[in-house]
Amino acid sequence: MSRRLTLGLGLGFGAALVIAPAVARADQVVVPAAPVAPPDMSDQAIGASLGVATGGRVTAGGLRLAGHFLYQLSDRDWFDGTAAFTFGGGGAGCFRDRSNAFVCDHGLAAGDSIELLAGVRHFLGGQDQFWPFVVGGVGMRGVEFSADSVNGLAFALHAGGGIRASVSPGIAVTAQGELELGFGAFNHSLGIEPQLGVAITAGVEFRL
Amino acid sequence: MTRFVLVWILVAACQSSDVSRQVGARCDTNADCDVKCLAPDGAWPGGFCTVLCDSDANCPADTRCIEDQGGICAFTCAGDPGCTFLGDGYTCQQVDSHGGGVKVSACHGG
Repeated sequence: MSRRLTLGLGLGFGAALVIAPAVARADQVVVPAAPVAPPDMSDQAIGASLGVATGGRVTAGGLRLAGHFLYQLSDRDWFDGTAAFTFGGGGAGCFRDRSNAFVCDHGLAAGDSIELLAGVRHFLGGQDQFWPFVVGGVGMRGVEFSADSVNGLAFALHAGGGIRASVSPGIAVTAQGELELGFGAFNHSLGIEPQLGVAITAGVEFRL
Repeated sequence: MTRFVLVWILVAACQSSDVSRQVGARCDTNADCDVKCLAPDGAWPGGFCTVLCDSDANCPADTRCIEDQGGICAFTCAGDPGCTFLGDGYTCQQVDSHGGGVKVSACHGG
């Protein structure tokens, strides 16, 4: 084999090595990554929700009304800043037990509270317009049972989940359930008391 | 530590008292009770919240309608130990039922 032929074969093989991958790339079909959160959800949104919250003892329960501000943190996660109001009203539920300790035994729907909550909504993936999510956060709430002149300041952890359904490019509805667990400091010699409740709400969100 | 706090919250949230504003709480005035306060004296040491009744059907669980002040609900008992949760001064006594014309065992002072 001549030296020229050897050189030609070498150049040809080298060129093939360079060109072949480029040809192969040109043949590949580019598949866009599947969305991991609702495609119609922008980086910011506001919303409102309405539902019920269960209370008991010195946890306020009743009608739950909340406003939300959502801010995107990552592909799947949105910060959820919430101001929640619970309206339970109700009569007196506190008394002195036989050891003369002041105790409260309010029902599921009694008392009022205002809570500021910082949480995160994490989308679990979904399809079409339905996107399930989990939520978690911590809130600071003021609680009052006016019929007993009992009030306090409490902190509660929130954990739950729900589903978001898009109804138009800029509007979505949500359904959500949460467990609320915490403790608070109350007057009337009650001291530190637990906070335990469940909230179920439905809401609407608007893209900003 | 976190587990301890969570358990404390759950246990504390689920505790309930033997008495209530309806029946059994200590009191000085009617404002301390849902309906009526039997003011502290020898018959009702520490005061005793109760509800008015015409028959046992008007009384909460574990209580019966007894002949006192026109009919009030009081805790039933089988012996003195059954009244210790009400504190000093309460014993299990045979008292007239309201409207029934029979004796019943109820926690009472004096």
